[in-house]
Amino acid sequence: MSSVIVVAPIIIANWPAIAAAVAAGVGTLGFSVINTAELQSAMSENVTREEIEVENSEILDSAAGTGEQMVVEKDGIKATFTRDARGALKICMEGKGKSKTELRQMGEALMGRVTQQYAYHRVVTELKQRNMTIVEEGMTETESVKIRIRNW
Amino acid sequence: MAQEELEIEIDKFGKVTVKTIGIKGPRCLEVAESFVQLLGQEESRELTNEYYEAEQQVRSHIDIKRKY
Repeated sequence: MSSVIVVAPIIIANWPAIAAAVAAGVGTLGFSVINTAELQSAMSENVTREEIEVENSEILDSAAGTGEQMVVEKDGIKATFTRDARGALKICMEGKGKSKTELRQMGEALMGRVTQQYAYHRVVTELKQRNMTIVEEGMTETESVKIRIRNW
Repeated sequence: MAQEELEIEIDKFGKVTVKTIGIKGPRCLEVAESFVQLLGQEESRELTNEYYEAEQQVRSHIDIKRKY
């Protein structure tokens, strides 16, 4: 082994790229994307809400009319991904019978998976651009994605 | 030529670990650092024996030349 560097990704992308990472990431935790009509029925009173701002993120301006919001749901727990006023990514978690702490934990877990998908996509795109061939790729027991590249 | 490998692990929180294997000298850092620039902020780094190996070889070579 020669060197080991640990990197905390900063999400900088336009909304379509963020949306793709959200869709892929939340799916690994059993959440699925819902449309606006379903959103109305999913919304109800007496729900607990918790907002999480993702500090290490910047959503770049993209084409007008892309509707920079995405709603995902699982077992009555709803997570809304949006672009806040500063241009950072924000998640609003909502759920009946859940504490703010529980919702925050779920939101952070979702954000982790979204970041994982974002980083995976960036890495794989970069490897392709450098003509670096992946010789092994897989999921570990701890749900990490592992990629191995040899003699490029 | 020694087998040169790059191992990238992305954990479920999105944290990325880039390991270079079999790359001697500062070039191993150049490869790993390029992924820091691509992704975000470096949190930690660890250099192991192979990083220093090539530098030591260069120093030995210079010492030999000076003797003659």
